[in-house]
Amino acid sequence: MSVNTAAMTEKVDWRKYFTWNTDHKVIGIQYLVTTFFFFIVGGALAMLVRTELGQPGTDLLDGVEYNRFLTNHGSVMIFLWIIPVLAGFGNYLIPLMIGARDMAFPNLNALSFWLIPPAGVLMIASFFVGSAESGWTAYVPLSVTAPLGQTLWAVSVIILGVSSLLGAINFVTTTLTMRAEGMGFWDLPLFVWGMLATALMILVATPMLTAGLILIALDRVAGTLFFDVAAGGDPVFWQNIFWFYSHPAVYIMILPGMGIISEIFPVFSRKPIFGYKAIAISSMAISVLGLTVWAHHMFTSGMNPALRIPYMITSMIIAVPTGIKIFSWLGTIWDGKLRFTTPMLFALGFISMFLIGGITGIFLASIPVDLHVHDTYFVVAHLHFVLFGGSVSAVYAGLYYWFPKITGRKYDERLGKVHFWMNFIGTNLSYLPMFLAGLLGMPRRVVDYAPEFTGVNQLATVGAYLLGLSTLPFLYNAIVSWARGPRAESNPWRALTLEWTTSSPPPEHNFDERPVMKIWPYSYGEVEVESEATGPVASAGD
Amino acid sequence: MKERNLFAIIVLSLVLIAVGYLVATSVDLSWLMPAQASERAVLVDRLFRFMMGIATVVFLIVEGALIYAVLRFRQKPGDESDARPVHGNNTLEIVWTLIPAVIVAVIGVYSYRVLTEVERVPDDPLVVRVISQQFSWRFEYPESGVSANVLHLPVDRPVQFQIESRDVIHSFWVPEFRVKRDATPGQIDELVLTPSQIGRYPIRCAELCGPGHAAMVSEVIVESEEDFQAWIEAGGVEVLDAGKGVPAGDKLPDDPLAAGRVVFTKYGCGACHTLDEAKTGGIVGPSLSDIGRVAAERLQGVNAVDYVRSSIVETDAFVVDGYPSGVMPNDFGERMTPEELDVLVEYLLSQ
Ligand code: HEC
Ligand SMILES: [Cu+2]
Ligand SMILES: [Cu+2]
Repeated sequence: MSVNTAAMTEKVDWRKYFTWNTDHKVIGIQYLVTTFFFFIVGGALAMLVRTELGQPGTDLLDGVEYNRFLTNHGSVMIFLWIIPVLAGFGNYLIPLMIGARDMAFPNLNALSFWLIPPAGVLMIASFFVGSAESGWTAYVPLSVTAPLGQTLWAVSVIILGVSSLLGAINFVTTTLTMRAEGMGFWDLPLFVWGMLATALMILVATPMLTAGLILIALDRVAGTLFFDVAAGGDPVFWQNIFWFYSHPAVYIMILPGMGIISEIFPVFSRKPIFGYKAIAISSMAISVLGLTVWAHHMFTSGMNPALRIPYMITSMIIAVPTGIKIFSWLGTIWDGKLRFTTPMLFALGFISMFLIGGITGIFLASIPVDLHVHDTYFVVAHLHFVLFGGSVSAVYAGLYYWFPKITGRKYDERLGKVHFWMNFIGTNLSYLPMFLAGLLGMPRRVVDYAPEFTGVNQLATVGAYLLGLSTLPFLYNAIVSWARGPRAESNPWRALTLEWTTSSPPPEHNFDERPVMKIWPYSYGEVEVESEATGPVASAGD
Repeated sequence: MKERNLFAIIVLSLVLIAVGYLVATSVDLSWLMPAQASERAVLVDRLFRFMMGIATVVFLIVEGALIYAVLRFRQKPGDESDARPVHGNNTLEIVWTLIPAVIVAVIGVYSYRVLTEVERVPDDPLVVRVISQQFSWRFEYPESGVSANVLHLPVDRPVQFQIESRDVIHSFWVPEFRVKRDATPGQIDELVLTPSQIGRYPIRCAELCGPGHAAMVSEVIVESEEDFQAWIEAGGVEVLDAGKGVPAGDKLPDDPLAAGRVVFTKYGCGACHTLDEAKTGGIVGPSLSDIGRVAAERLQGVNAVDYVRSSIVETDAFVVDGYPSGVMPNDFGERMTPEELDVLVEYLLSQ
């Protein structure tokens, strides 16, 4: 038991988290903690926005402030929370899951993290110089004439794009070249498949956004006229650039989450994942198809009307691989022996809420319906069901699931469950009424609304407060358990992926012996999985 | 594929489509949508209900299976063994790949048919130019030369809108017509529809266009052909407050107060400014309800007339404390006729 005792007695030096460190696990934790901080910032902005919308009229924020808050809420949540927190999971887990010692390019990896804090500071600093106020979509010409903060915003998003690209290069190279002996592609954990599909999308789509933002920044500071209508610039051009990245970004924000819950269901159902290859292939299918649907955000815009049809078709086809995943997860829990731990609850919540996001996506893809609901609260509801009900649920599921591995401590299940129910009820309460508001005629991004929308907005505001409060049990649980929760064994869930074969937390070199892949990661019911107390798996380091 | 599977796929798809059809034709979902005030709305709502029918069934199947599994397959106390290993089932996987494919194909074809139907350009439509600008709407009827800031349409006559923007992107949306179209600077965006229900409906801007976005509203009045013609002949007389007609067209009324109010309304000042006399409640800029007194005291050595005039034509020359600069449009000087400007200044000073 030398490894485990060593890990237990070793005094964790927290200062390393504030330095340039090339250990992928340190970087992973840096990512997770930093991005959670931005989640709270983005959440606080959302609370202000929801408070303003708690009743008609403009009481708390005026039109300018409101636009600034909503712009930063969206930008922080997307660029500084969901995309990078998932990269944080990738950093921490990919090498461990494929049995590697570290990432392929550790220094690049550190750089991709250290780009995030300055980018975050820039974005928040923009508040003090006249913040960006044209939405996270930054449509021209509004964004070209916006105050100085819009330039800082653009620079911040450019930096975050570079960070994301560097991360993607690392993920792909690491996965392709550093797998444990005996691990073929069809042995990869589904989380790794999800990250691979994500990384490929990032590599194709992100440079486009970065290039577009550079054009906007040049228009703003160097007097170029790329988007100046009087000089022949075309506002629809920006929308094409923006959505060429930002639609794939939706999948960049959901595929890793789908990977996370594909790890969780088999473990807590004690059953192999149902349809492994179908799930892996559907991730790749979504990543390819996802690159061809962007103009479905532009059906009402000045784009060529005939071109809308192919985008409608591709957008609808995405329902097929998405459906395959949902049904496969149901197949996994079917006839299992389910254990309702906190990560399992969040994973089940993911299915039930993501489903709503997915189904309403078909409504939005249908052009005649979209011409009514586009740019309304229907879209706000849809995207929050995908990104909050979906991605954020998956992130929480993953945080709880790997908490023992990352910290070497156990979290408190009771608090975890309180957190789950607050989050689940809050999400539905907050976003379901928004569908109705949108259908009935409430546009999005408005500081004020007609009195007939008061009821639905009040429900949404109550739900939002519940969501805000739900972070408290989580934070308390995470901090207290990390500091003095009970020690976790190396494999508390009796899981089969490789990260559970090393100690919790893993030693700096990850594995004492270079792991060899012997057991397929989802062979539940076919091999004996022992927990550390009795079994061979955890004592591999002896 | 076994014949039995094919059969299952066909039957399940047909059931789903049948439910969609049933909901589309017979379930009352009108509480989900505002009134149907155009022919287009009827077709769009039918498609929407069809999709709602299928969506409800899919939703119930998936959530039902989820809840069933959660209740039925929980671990028995003390049972630490694994479950029976099942890796997949080709039949099932083919079924749940193909059914969604069939369903979206049907929805896709149906959507396409509705789209071509609602977007067919009619012969001889009534042409209306929609001119959007932070944060107001203006409607011009090229055939008669009338221009107004409330949209009047005759019922049952096809309209073709030609939508433009003078500054940033806006989006012309009438929820009761079930359609919106962006106003993109530098181009003319077209939209056709046929109003089918007499009444008054809101026009809302659906694309974030700046601080006054939420206030960028107007109204469409769908009326009988006779009422519409009468309105056109009167030069687009707008009923602004109880019974007192004031034209929003180019002819200004003789009464200076009414004339000032017309100009104030025409240029959308009320979207940003509160002015009791004109019954506006904008909050982006300072209230103008007391401007006659305030103007005289704002700047030393500048009299009230010059102050108000320069506030309108050189907006950023002096920025009121606590309010953003660069928000109030700075091209009123070019857009207004000298007469309009004089009338407006006099009107504001009388407050
Ligand atoms: C987009 C919003 C907006 C619109 C539309 C707008 N204004 Fe303003 N206005 C402002 C803001 C913001 C200020 C304060 C900042 C400044 O002084 O430039 C202001 C300031 C003023 C002032 C000075 C008020 C004072 O207390 O000193 C006057 C007068 C005025 N506006 C008149 C008008 C008139 C008349 C119109 C219509 C022709 C109009 N505004 C349209 C936003 C707007
Ligand atoms: Cu607008
Ligand atoms: Cu607007």
